[in-house]
Amino acid sequence: MTQPLLEVRNLRTYLSSGGRTVKAVDDVSFSIPKGETFCLVGESGSGKSISALSVIRLLPQAIATHPGGEILFNGQDMLTLPEASLRSIRGSQIAMIFQEPMTSLNPVFSVGEQITEALQLHHPTMSDAEAVERAMLALEQVQIPKARERFRDYPHQLSGGQRQRVMIAMALACEPELLIADEPTTALDVTVQAEILRLMRQLQDDTGMSTLFITHDFGVVAQMAQQVGVMQQGKLVEVGNTAQVLRQPQHAYTQQLLAAVPENLARCRPRRSDFSPTMLTEDVGLKSDLPALLSIRNLKVWFPIRKGILRRTVDHVRAVDDVSLDIPQGQIVALVGESGCGKTTLGRAIVQLEKPTSGSIQLQGQELTGLSARELRPLRPKMQIAFQDPQSSLNPRLLVETTLTEPLKAHGRCANHEERIEYAAKILADMQLSRDTLWRYPHEFSGGQRQRIGLARALVLNPAFIVCDEITSALDVSVQAEILQLLLKIRAEHNLTLLFITHNIGVVEYLSDQTVVMYKGQIVERGTTAEVCGNPQDAYTKKLLQAVPRLWG
Amino acid sequence: MTEMTAHTVSRDSFSRRIWRKTWQGVGVKLGFAWVGILVFMGVFAPFLANSMPLLMSKAGVISAPVLAYLTAEDVLVLVMLVLALVLVWLPLSGAKRVLLFVVGTLVAAVMANAFVKPPAVKIYDEFRTPAYTEVDWRIMPLIPYAPTDYLRDYPEHGLEAPLAATERFHLMGTEENGADVFSRMIHASRIALSIGLIATGIAMVIGVILGGLMGYFSGVVDMIGMRLVEIFEAIPTLFLLLTFVAFFGRSLYMMMIIIGVTSWSGYARYIRAEFLKLRKQEYVQAAVASGLPLSSILFRHMLPNGVAPLLVAVSFGVASAILAEATLSFLGLGLVGEPSWGQMLDQAVKSSTFNWWMAVFPGGAIFLTVFAYNLIGEAFRDAIDPKLSRNAGVGS
Repeated sequence: MTQPLLEVRNLRTYLSSGGRTVKAVDDVSFSIPKGETFCLVGESGSGKSISALSVIRLLPQAIATHPGGEILFNGQDMLTLPEASLRSIRGSQIAMIFQEPMTSLNPVFSVGEQITEALQLHHPTMSDAEAVERAMLALEQVQIPKARERFRDYPHQLSGGQRQRVMIAMALACEPELLIADEPTTALDVTVQAEILRLMRQLQDDTGMSTLFITHDFGVVAQMAQQVGVMQQGKLVEVGNTAQVLRQPQHAYTQQLLAAVPENLARCRPRRSDFSPTMLTEDVGLKSDLPALLSIRNLKVWFPIRKGILRRTVDHVRAVDDVSLDIPQGQIVALVGESGCGKTTLGRAIVQLEKPTSGSIQLQGQELTGLSARELRPLRPKMQIAFQDPQSSLNPRLLVETTLTEPLKAHGRCANHEERIEYAAKILADMQLSRDTLWRYPHEFSGGQRQRIGLARALVLNPAFIVCDEITSALDVSVQAEILQLLLKIRAEHNLTLLFITHNIGVVEYLSDQTVVMYKGQIVERGTTAEVCGNPQDAYTKKLLQAVPRLWG
Repeated sequence: MTEMTAHTVSRDSFSRRIWRKTWQGVGVKLGFAWVGILVFMGVFAPFLANSMPLLMSKAGVISAPVLAYLTAEDVLVLVMLVLALVLVWLPLSGAKRVLLFVVGTLVAAVMANAFVKPPAVKIYDEFRTPAYTEVDWRIMPLIPYAPTDYLRDYPEHGLEAPLAATERFHLMGTEENGADVFSRMIHASRIALSIGLIATGIAMVIGVILGGLMGYFSGVVDMIGMRLVEIFEAIPTLFLLLTFVAFFGRSLYMMMIIIGVTSWSGYARYIRAEFLKLRKQEYVQAAVASGLPLSSILFRHMLPNGVAPLLVAVSFGVASAILAEATLSFLGLGLVGEPSWGQMLDQAVKSSTFNWWMAVFPGGAIFLTVFAYNLIGEAFRDAIDPKLSRNAGVGS
């Protein structure tokens, strides 16, 4: 086949709002042959989604203009087609699936109705019975268990992975030639992601359609794409064969991105002795002689489910169910598991933001459970928490100065305000932020900078122990690499013990000394990171590790 | 798709950004302009419309009769304006400004009541006798008639259309008793403003405290609080006002308190919802984890972030409080001595003939004031609404 299915030539997409024009897509060219997958990869804001939306012409015309370029789909230029012809192409010949499975299905229609509607829109002659039959076939095709019974289910009755499958079924029902998938697995757990990716590859083999796949994850690229394009600030900096780009990146930016992937970081991780000569030079295992900073015994955090008029407790959600764990002094313990496994609840319960149902948590021999808010207050500085979302982790109304000095003041640290400001500036310097950061508001910073400020807030009270709750999950891979390197540095400088909650196995391998795997509220496996990741014993851990999309798999 | 545009750095605080966005529209500027005019008229009413000279010189002695006749209320309002201007000029934090203003106002109220003793009897006719007219020079107010100056020295005079009288100048005519309508309008603006602001202020304080407690503690406190809210929502304000007027007579302050005490439930709901949401926000959790005291968590970390929707409710609340007073006065149950817009409308209706100037001016003023506050409320709502501010984004 000589003519590619989709050919994008010198595409430019400018977005203008409030008098400013942003060159969201700037002179981008690529082509997708029939039956192949092209991956657009890049950091947030690089223009990869805008490129995809330009192809299907879904950008709001009020703010988006295309000053140049052409998008040839089967030889037709999408940029010049009238809206009516576009509508007949969308859905039937080009279909799209989105990132968020929660919001891309209409909650008031059953999944079957949504698929049949899409079918009958593009095939007006199709009878109801035939449409239903085709929809059921589509649901079976995406391997939803008991597809015929689930036909009348509403989106809220399905899990995230199943919803994404329904989205794919809907996109595929009309047998499109091109599927645009905009980060379809980003919101999913890694095990579910592996299933969806496998399904998409299989469907592609069966139907022979082409895919434009957008992602920020090089592991996914390695698994899915024949061709890959790397985007940076609206420009396509490198295009090529996937294996070639991943192994021998030519462009400096691609090299930088690939170097920042945790998997690659881990390969060149400096030994701990580089940071602090006083600490043990070899990796420490679960040695009993290492003193436990924090010990958790039979911890349960159950949330009651109340029903009826009298709000009687009928059952419990067992978020954390009988967990015992020792966290040794000076170690980074990674807590991994998929969403809903209770890892965040455990982290919050340790710092007493969640009241445990039963069990004991001892920090340096001091029992924490059962204390009143007043009794806890003097203990709070010893243990801190850093959060996932850079948007909501800082108070938008307060200067960074207030955020950092207020806890110092509340605990009577430092003699006066000037000293507190000096101390806060010193902590910020540790986080590689300048002193004038103090006099700014959170909205003036980027996500990575905000996470550093969040870490600085956790550090000002000079804690012995910090819970890091997915602190890099919302960040781009290069920013994540910076934060992880910073964490290793401050761990050595401040003699910190960290509980690092994450779902990213690459990060675990790079950062942690020990790994704890949680599944359904319970710990299924723990040990040194090398042991757990290299030679998993538990069935769930094995499944989890296998599901991780690897660059070098 | 995350933020498409590069990260824009602006050095403004959150409140200033909200304010800037609010200030963008034309409507809100008109609204604030009208409220500004009302404030000016309300504060300087005795100097704008009065029967006595502002300043006069007789036989070399310079005197200011208007100052001698200032009531405690007049003085208090003046002091409040000066206090507000000084506080805006001083570099203080918002909370301190509010606190100082409240304390200053209370002190001024006590002092004014203790020390300002205007003459008990005012005979306005006297100011048109030679004792006041045959002087070296004198400065009269813009409208040389007090609101309750019925011009008894012009016996043939009564109801007059605007500009009908030849020897006197009545821009908006006179009412049945012969008092100048424009003068009454100016003095009535003080009532309209004060009832709106004070009644809403009372409601807001109660609403914020109860709503905040309900939202932060949730559980049982929330359940009891919400039942209280429902009880208060069931009370019809207007009929309660009628009952109280029937039992205890007419008093502006009683009206303010009743309107305030019955209309806090909406504010409490707003603040409760905000606090329920904010409680789980990560920066609030971080404040808890840092061991900050409860007062700081509530008032520094939660209230400033939750107060924005209240601004919207407050501007609509002020409008509805003004309407409630106007309704009551229109029903003839408002104040007796003092003019108010509602009472002036009532006069217009009860008069045997239809006199347009008695209905149009107070009616128009009520309409414009309510309209102005609604414009301000709308602008605040648009500025705060995150959906509208994000409309530059693309895709999901």
